[in-house]
Amino acid sequence: MEMFLMAVCISLFGLAVTAAAFGAATQREQMQEDALPERETAAKVVPAHFFAEDIVVPAQPMPKVPIEALLLQIDSHVRLEHAAAESFLQYPTTALLHSRTCSPLVH
Amino acid sequence: MFDQRAELFNGLSAQQHDEILDLGALMALPSGSVLFDLGARAEHLYVVLRGRIRLTLPMQIRGRDEDVLVEESGPGETIGWSALIPPCRYTLKATAPLETEVLALPREALRSYFAANPATGAAVTQNVATLIGRRLQLFQAMWLREMQRMVELRCA
Repeated sequence: MEMFLMAVCISLFGLAVTAAAFGAATQREQMQEDALPERETAAKVVPAHFFAEDIVVPAQPMPKVPIEALLLQIDSHVRLEHAAAESFLQYPTTALLHSRTCSPLVH
Repeated sequence: MFDQRAELFNGLSAQQHDEILDLGALMALPSGSVLFDLGARAEHLYVVLRGRIRLTLPMQIRGRDEDVLVEESGPGETIGWSALIPPCRYTLKATAPLETEVLALPREALRSYFAANPATGAAVTQNVATLIGRRLQLFQAMWLREMQRMVELRCA
């Protein structure tokens, strides 16, 4: 009889431990499910296509050159291009037509 | 006082040269002054005697109209030949970046003089045609250079 009662107690204890473990496991899953919509939203923003065609590159702020500096660069570019075109007109060759200048706007 | 080597007067005799000079008036331009505006009626043809003239066109830069250099002319060079070519409107804006002196030749006075002196008119017209042709060739070359760069960027 005593042996029988001991077996029943051990069985009940085992059952309680199993129930507690199951409860803990299902609670963690529920928390993960709650967190999932946030991940899905993130996935929608950046679709995980390997060969994605519609890649949206976030606009990088360009370093702003002051307008006065830009106008000086344009001035310099025009003068250099003018000089290069004059050289071509004096000796018209393909090489002179496409000769390089040190203009900051083409580098 | 006047530079005889001005391109407008190539091939003219001293007398023809002096007669044309008599039609014009000297203009002193302080630094930064505007000689003519884009689109204005072209009433004068100018020969630069001293200083510089900047020829510009407006360009949109960051939403603002900025005058961008197209060409710069110095002593002996002719500007404002739109005065002789219909529809007689300046196609560029001209400003003096430093103290400059020009000879201003009125369009109507030139036309009347050329009508009375066709040989001189033909010689000056030939010189103006040479200037226009030269500018056309120059800008063709500049345009092609820009096209080449655009193609290189596209194919890079």
